[in-house]
Amino acid sequence: MSAYIARRLMSAFLVLMAVITLVFILMTQIGDPAAATLGNRANEDTVREFNARYGLDRPLGAQFLGYLGVIACQRPSSPVYDDDPATNGYCGLLQGDFGESFLHNAPVADVILRRLPRTLLLGALALLFELAIGLGFGVFAALRRNRWQDTSIMSTAYLGQSLPSYVTGPIFLSYAAFLFGLFPVGGYGSTPLEHLQHAVLPAFTLAILGASTYARVTRSEMLDALQSDYVRTAKAKGLGRSRVLSHALRNALLPVVTLAGLSLRLLVGGAIITEQIYGWPGMGKLAVESIVNVDAPTVMGVVFFVALAVQLGNLLADLAVAALDPRVRLAG
Amino acid sequence: MPSTRRNEADLSARPGAHEAHAARVAQRRRRDAVGCVVPVLGFASLLSLVMALSPDRPDGPRYEGAGDPTPRNGGTFVFHHESNVRSLDPQVAYDELSTMAIRLVFDGLLDYDHEGQLVPSLAMAVPEPREEGKVFRFRLRRGVRFHALPGVPEGRELTAEDVRFTMERLLRKETGSPGAGFYEAIEGAVAFREGEAAAIAGLRVLDRYTVEFRLTEPDQSFLYVMAMPFAYPVARETFAHFGSEADQHPAGTGPFVFEGWERGVRLTFRRNERYWRDHVGPDRMVYLENIQRHLAGLRFMNGQIDAVHRQTLDHWALFSEAERWANTRLTFPRASIWGVLMNHEMPPFDDVHFRRAVSFAIDREGWAQARGHLIQPTGQPLPPAITGYDPELPSRQFYDLDRAKEEMALAGYPDGYPREIEYWSSDGDIARVYAELLQQDLARIGVRIRIRQVSFAVFLEQTGKPKTVELLMGGWNIDYPDPSSFLEPLFHSKNHRPANSSNRAHYQSAELDDLLDRARQETNRERRAAMYREASEFLAKDVAWAFAYLPLTQEVWQPYVMNYRPHPIWAEDYRDVWLDLPKRRVARSLLGAGTTTPAAFLPLARLRGTR
Amino acid sequence: MDPRAWTRFRKNKGAFLGLALVALATLSAVAGPSLAPHDPNEQFRDTLIDGRGLPKGPLAVPDHLLGADTLGRDELSRLLHGGAVTMLVAFLATALAVSLGTLIGVTSGFFRGALDATFMRLVDLLLSLPFLLLAIAIKRVVADPGLEVLVLILALLSWTTLARVVRAKTLQVRELEYVLAARALGMSNARILLRHVLPNVAGPIIVLGTTLVAQLILFESALSFLGLGVEPPNASWGSMLREGSELIDSAPRLLLYPAAFIVMTVFGFNLLGEGLRDAFDPKE
Repeated sequence: MSAYIARRLMSAFLVLMAVITLVFILMTQIGDPAAATLGNRANEDTVREFNARYGLDRPLGAQFLGYLGVIACQRPSSPVYDDDPATNGYCGLLQGDFGESFLHNAPVADVILRRLPRTLLLGALALLFELAIGLGFGVFAALRRNRWQDTSIMSTAYLGQSLPSYVTGPIFLSYAAFLFGLFPVGGYGSTPLEHLQHAVLPAFTLAILGASTYARVTRSEMLDALQSDYVRTAKAKGLGRSRVLSHALRNALLPVVTLAGLSLRLLVGGAIITEQIYGWPGMGKLAVESIVNVDAPTVMGVVFFVALAVQLGNLLADLAVAALDPRVRLAG
Repeated sequence: MPSTRRNEADLSARPGAHEAHAARVAQRRRRDAVGCVVPVLGFASLLSLVMALSPDRPDGPRYEGAGDPTPRNGGTFVFHHESNVRSLDPQVAYDELSTMAIRLVFDGLLDYDHEGQLVPSLAMAVPEPREEGKVFRFRLRRGVRFHALPGVPEGRELTAEDVRFTMERLLRKETGSPGAGFYEAIEGAVAFREGEAAAIAGLRVLDRYTVEFRLTEPDQSFLYVMAMPFAYPVARETFAHFGSEADQHPAGTGPFVFEGWERGVRLTFRRNERYWRDHVGPDRMVYLENIQRHLAGLRFMNGQIDAVHRQTLDHWALFSEAERWANTRLTFPRASIWGVLMNHEMPPFDDVHFRRAVSFAIDREGWAQARGHLIQPTGQPLPPAITGYDPELPSRQFYDLDRAKEEMALAGYPDGYPREIEYWSSDGDIARVYAELLQQDLARIGVRIRIRQVSFAVFLEQTGKPKTVELLMGGWNIDYPDPSSFLEPLFHSKNHRPANSSNRAHYQSAELDDLLDRARQETNRERRAAMYREASEFLAKDVAWAFAYLPLTQEVWQPYVMNYRPHPIWAEDYRDVWLDLPKRRVARSLLGAGTTTPAAFLPLARLRGTR
Repeated sequence: MDPRAWTRFRKNKGAFLGLALVALATLSAVAGPSLAPHDPNEQFRDTLIDGRGLPKGPLAVPDHLLGADTLGRDELSRLLHGGAVTMLVAFLATALAVSLGTLIGVTSGFFRGALDATFMRLVDLLLSLPFLLLAIAIKRVVADPGLEVLVLILALLSWTTLARVVRAKTLQVRELEYVLAARALGMSNARILLRHVLPNVAGPIIVLGTTLVAQLILFESALSFLGLGVEPPNASWGSMLREGSELIDSAPRLLLYPAAFIVMTVFGFNLLGEGLRDAFDPKE
């Protein structure tokens, strides 16, 4: 078991390194950060000052190694930077330093940590909706299988999978929030209660797709479980209907757990389009704004977090399945 | 990650999924096709039902003022912009959004009134030029105090030394101020900047409240330059205290005290209770960043934003037609200029006939029609209200398709230009619309363009280099109300550089340079105006740009926002507003930023409010 | 391939509805541009835009059945041309992604070894990245806004799942007795691949390919919605949706027309894909 986890962590580490390298290369190609940050009227002096401050006047290789933290700090704006190379500290990923955002003039970690809770709130609420709607309708459809309820639920689920957020988002925003006044019109409010209120509609927009997927998966797994030997045995032994159901449900949940684990990426990465539509200041919006403004450290930070979440999510999902299902053993 | 790929979490990659299918298939086969159509029809009819039942858009403000005409403090004023505020450091910031925030926190020595005239602010009076316009002596107001923020001693008074600190900071290379070039007329400024002198020779502190500037030669724009936010005095203690993070803690003398800033999301300010002049205003100011104009419009109509200055055409149509918005809306031309820039160093645009053909082909009225008349067609380099503008300028540019075709023939392309020309514009829908408008117009004279939309950063970087971009759309906003503020950065050859040119048409003419240099020093008002008019005429005739339009500012504000008047120089200047809040909104704003309605879940109450 | 697949498919009404929708969408993409009554890029500034800069509605001018878009262009013509663009991009990108995914999946599964490990790490890597962010970034790096770039980006980001499934299936087939026998008899790898492996993986490929079209239509529209889609002045359903969404308060049709096309097409592909999945499922 621990060997398995160690192996997985190792491969996760390699993937993360590759992701960082890829995004670093991509971001150097996207535009001149000095021009983007200084705006309309950058001149030679301001550009030079900017590049010196963030260590962008060094060769790309040195910048990258400095970003990773394997060579001494290359970034004069970092607190550990010292003009004497012999006493330079390190200011890179390995030291837990994500660099400094050009646009925000603040450590990337601070910027992300500020946005992260909002994206988590949105994602968690969306996941809650997805599970509530998906599981509820999925189980119900399985129990009514082949009747009209089942057929309509399942085809609605197909339709739900075909409804992107850039179609539903503007409609919800304009009608449910603005014209009918049922929800706040975008933004995220300023108290915890308001955050929650503001999150409802975007979370629901996000949840449509997931709920459809969960409904379909739950239904099929539930049907599987209901026909399995042990449920038949339980029935034969005269167990009550509700206890039989709970047995079946427990088994049917496994793939749903896997799916939920995979969706951790959504939780962290934020829903770029939905956040954009509702003006929700989360990670997705941050990422897009950072790309537009060539704020490389922030983009790399966000992508790193997302990739980390994917790796962790996959691992957690596998571990959860192992914990729920005694038949699964994790090979080392 | 967008929702679009969510269903890719495909279970078939997982062993065991195939068994799961087996059971499913048997049932699905018998599934009725009706079951598949039902949700589609259901969804469609639900949507039509919702649309049919939905209330109309509110035809007026949701909240009216209390009707009390006495100016008073209180409430929260919420405004927004579509993009990011770059900096709160007055010496560094050089964009409209940042200025909106900086002018809440800082004061200048001089300011402009609503007629665009220079008026004293921290200075006691607008200084009279001495020694033939080479010396300016500013006398500071007494008892002006900096905001009491971390690092700034309590009750710290503004003195002449602060002006000196500010000017030195502005000119120092490490500050990286984009505005340093404006102040090079001060004697010794260049030497100080290059580190050859420890102090600015031409800046003398005469006593605690008096500071004198000596210029190398008379400069008619110096007082304007001193009114730019670059010269707004800052408290030196914050820089010692916060170091490189000082721009997160701006301490000025202005009517509002900086409270907090979550970058990219919002800034908050509270009223300065010890402001040096009589001033009433909201208790708090909230400045929201990155709110798209459609969303901002909805929130404005909902009473959650107090003023909007950029709307979709659709929202503007509603505001401009509704009777109930009549008293709190306004359009007026901005002091800025937009046009099509042709790279003078690259063929075919090095031929004046070709440039003229382009200029004649631009259907400026058609553009205005397509943009809901929110732009004003123009054909010369200076906006109205700026010295040198002449509505009857002989060579002003206009639309004339026949002459455009004649000019094409003169340029040697009677049957159109053979090659596709790459046209650059920055991101965004509005830039795209203008690109498409231009594309159709140029197609009529046989010039095909390919639209290339790039991020603003790339756009600035590439268009600032010589011989890189052939054709682009560009504009320039006023720095100060003087023709030199337009003509020098855009057309003077000193602003044509190997990189970061502000002269993005890469226009060079010794004749024009000479004219501009002489006009800058000319002290006689009439002669000066005539010289700038001559420069205008020269530029329009030579088609330095194909000048196209002036944007109109469209502003709407809530009826309880009092004493707001759009400013000719400062975009969206809210420092003097006060709120005549109805009781409900006062209560709400206490909850926080006033960006939400606690009653959001009580739809009936909200609907009643709409009617 | 399973000969009974067609029989099973025929009995599935949902799949038939899907097939019908897909056929309709494809037909409109192929024939649409020639049916369009106007040049989709011509702006009728004087006749189709009112004094407030807003587009005229359906039949406000007799010649224009669905009215105008935000810049006074004929909405119907843009829908027809836009559909062709959207479908072309989705089909081309799918074809590319399927070929790539099959190639990589089959080689990985069949030859195993270092090649397999490398490819699967690559798949892990791609699946760890936020696709839309990556697409936005690449779209900005590659300055050329042409369609081929869009197709390449979509394809390069979407072959992974298919490769995984194909690899898993290949691994299964590889160990089948008759394949082992064929190998023992000295049949060449190429022949084994062609005769035994490919026919066996064809089912999942067709199924996944069909749903991939749906996903890529959504993906292309998402990019267009963020303003990074096709090159102006051309239309795609996604870019029309973006342009229309700003006027949703007064002219919801500008959002609803392209939305309806996108949703119904994607719905069709999803239904069809599910029908095919059932039909090809060997466990039946």
